[in-house]
Amino acid sequence: MEVALSVVAVGLILLVSVYLVDVADTAIGYSVSGMQGGVASWKAPLVTAARLMLRRRTETERPDREAWALAPPLLGGLAAVALTAIPLSAGLDVADIPVGIVLFGAAMIQVMVAVFLHGWGPNSVFPMIGAFRMAAVGLSIGIPFSLVLITTALPAESLSVGVIIESQQDLWNVLRQPLGLPIYLVTALGFSFWGPGQLPDGADLAGGTNVESSGPALLVWRVSRAAVLVAVSAMGTAAFLGGYLGPALPGWLWMVAKTAAVALVLIWTGHRIARVRVEGMVRLGWLVLLPLALVDVFVSGALTL
Amino acid sequence: MGLRRRLGSLAESAPVAVFPVVGAGARADVARLRLRPEVELVDSPRHADVLLVAGEFVPGEVPGLAQVHDQLAPPRGTVRWGERLDGLDPSTPTIGTQDEVVAAIGSVASGLYRDPSISESPLLPDVDPVDWRGVGPYGHGGTGMTGGTPYGRPMVERAPDRDGLELDQLPVTVGPWIGSLPPGMTIHMKLQGDIIQEAEVLELVAGPYCPDLFTLALSSPQRVEDMELARASHHLVWLGEALRVHGLPALGLRALRLSQKLGPDSARSVRRLIQTVRRSGIFQLALRGVGTLPDSGLDGLGPVSRAHGREDDARLDEPAYRELGFTTITHDGGDAAARWRQRLGEIDQSLDLAGRAGALTAFGAGVVESPRGRIEPEGAQPSSLLKGRLAVWLTGLEWGDAVTTIWSLDLDPITYLPVETGARQ
Repeated sequence: MEVALSVVAVGLILLVSVYLVDVADTAIGYSVSGMQGGVASWKAPLVTAARLMLRRRTETERPDREAWALAPPLLGGLAAVALTAIPLSAGLDVADIPVGIVLFGAAMIQVMVAVFLHGWGPNSVFPMIGAFRMAAVGLSIGIPFSLVLITTALPAESLSVGVIIESQQDLWNVLRQPLGLPIYLVTALGFSFWGPGQLPDGADLAGGTNVESSGPALLVWRVSRAAVLVAVSAMGTAAFLGGYLGPALPGWLWMVAKTAAVALVLIWTGHRIARVRVEGMVRLGWLVLLPLALVDVFVSGALTL
Repeated sequence: MGLRRRLGSLAESAPVAVFPVVGAGARADVARLRLRPEVELVDSPRHADVLLVAGEFVPGEVPGLAQVHDQLAPPRGTVRWGERLDGLDPSTPTIGTQDEVVAAIGSVASGLYRDPSISESPLLPDVDPVDWRGVGPYGHGGTGMTGGTPYGRPMVERAPDRDGLELDQLPVTVGPWIGSLPPGMTIHMKLQGDIIQEAEVLELVAGPYCPDLFTLALSSPQRVEDMELARASHHLVWLGEALRVHGLPALGLRALRLSQKLGPDSARSVRRLIQTVRRSGIFQLALRGVGTLPDSGLDGLGPVSRAHGREDDARLDEPAYRELGFTTITHDGGDAAARWRQRLGEIDQSLDLAGRAGALTAFGAGVVESPRGRIEPEGAQPSSLLKGRLAVWLTGLEWGDAVTTIWSLDLDPITYLPVETGARQ
C-alpha cells in the first residue's frame, strides 16, 4: 500500500511539474520571440496533448518495435526513479534511500540508454545519428556529472540526499564547492538534452530520435524529456542550494521554489543559448569539465579532511 | 460526450502542426507562416496534421511528395498554396493569401479532429520498391554481412574511415523535404556514424523564377531604399530559418517578425536582435571554424565572397551608392561565423542606406547585386554557382557541421525553368 501511494505521489508530482515546465517553456518562448495572440501559455500543454492523443502511431520499415515502444516510458520511468531519491522536505520523501545520490546518478546515466533505444528503434537515419550523439555526449559528460554530485557527499559523510541537504545548514554547497553547480548545470543540460545540449533531438536532425515518432508515443517522449529536466532541477536544488532549507516558509515550499528557479534557468537557457556542436560538447566534457570536476573533488576532499 | 470528442474539441484550440513542401517563389512566405499562432510548422512529416504544398512546381514532377504525404500519421489532410499540382486531389482549391491559407489549414484540421474517417488515404502502395533478390551467401545480394540492395534498399558497406579504420558505411538519401535542409535540397551520401564520407547534392527542378525587386532592377532602375529594405528583409528571413536550425527557434521568430515590418526606423530593433544573437554564443558554440571554404571561385557570390575579405559588390559601381558613401563590409576567415557576421553587418548597413537614400535609384541594366550575390540577365542564380562544389565541401564533415555549412551559404536549391517550359505554361 505504501509503495503504491509512493508511486502515485511521484507520478502526480512529475505530471504537475512537467505541465508547469511546458507552460514556462511556452511563456518564455513567447517572450523571447515577441509573439502574441497564441494559445494561452497555461493551456498550451493541454491542447497540444489532446492533439497528439488523436493521432495514430506511425510505422517505419522493419523497426525494432520493442525498443522503440520501450524508450519513451523508460525515459519517464528513469526520471521518476531519480526523483524518488530527493526528499521534498525533512522526513517527507518517497523512499528514504541511504545511497540516494548513487541511485540518482545511476538513473541519469541510464537516460543515455533510453535515448539510444529511441534512436535505434525506428530503423531510420536521423534517429540513429541522434542515438550516436547521445552516446558521445553522455560518455563525455557522465563522469564530471557524477563527480560533482558525489563531491557533495563529502561534507555530509553520507550518500543520502536528505543528509546532504542537512549538511548545508550552515553553508550551501553552491558556496562551499563553487565549481560544483556550474558543472552540474552544464552536464544536466546534456542529460536532459535541453537547449544547448539538445543534440540527440536537435533541429539539424529535424527532431533527431523523435523524427519518426507521432501521436501518443511522441507525447510520452516529450513528457518524459520534461520529467528529466524536473529531476535534474530538483537534484541541483538538493545537492547545491540547500534543498528544503530556508527560513519562515515550510520546507517543501522552499524545495519547490528553488527547483522551479533552477528549471527556469535551464528553460531560459534553452531559448537564449545556441546548440553546441557535438565535437564542442565532447571536448568540453573531457578537456574542461572533467579536470574541473577533479579539482572540485580534491579541493572539497582536502577541506573536509 | 465521448473522450475522442472531448479531445477533438480541445485539440481545435491547439496550433495545427503543418509540414511544408515548398516550391518556387514561396520560401519567404512559408517561413513567415511561422509567425501565425494558429499554425506550427514542424520539421518532420510524422509530427504534422496537415501537409502544406506551397509555391510552384513543374506539374507531375514533385519529387518525394507522395512519400512525404504518406509519412503524415493519420488522420491527415493537405492544403495547397499556389499553383495546382498534378498527382494530388484536383478538387482542393488553390489559395492565395496568408490569411486564406491559415483559414484553410484550420478548417482541414478541425474536420480531421472531429471526424478522423475523412483522413486522406495513402498515395503509394505499401510494398517494397523491388522484390527480394535472393543473391549472395545471406540472400541479400551483397557479400559477407554487408553490401547489396535487399528489397531495393542499400545495405551498409565497409570502408576505411578518416582514421584508416574499416567501419560500416551507410548509403542514405536525405531530402528534398526535411526541416533541417533548405527546401528542395537532396543529399545522397555515405555516412560513417555521423560523418559524411561521400556526398552528392541534387536540387529541385521547379517552375519559373518569380521576379523580385532585384530581377526587375536588371531591366529598369529601382529605388535604393526599396532594394536595401528588401535586402535586409531577405537576410532577416534567412536569419530566422538559420536560428531555428541552430536551436534558437524563438529568436528566429523575432527575426521573421522584423522582416515582415521592416522600415528605416526598424534599425534599433534589428540592432537589439543582432546583439541578442551575438550573446547567444552561436559564433563560439556552433559556427567558428566550421565550413571554411577555399579562397578561389567565389566571385559574384555576394556575402559569401565578402566573408572572405573580398570587396566584391556590384553596388560599388553604382553612382547612387557612391553618392551615399557606400563601402563594402568585409570579414575575414571564410568560415560559417564570417558569413553570419557578414550578413548581420549587411542588415544593419542596408537599413542605414535605406534611411538615407531618399529618392535615389540604382541599376537598370547590366549586373545587379542581389542579397545572394551578383545577378545578370540570362545568368544563373548566384547560389547555383555554389551547388556544384557543395558536395566536396560537405565531405568529411559531421552531419551537424554540414547543416551549419549549408545554411551559412544561404542556398536556393531550386533550378528554375524558363517561363516557356515551366509551370505557368
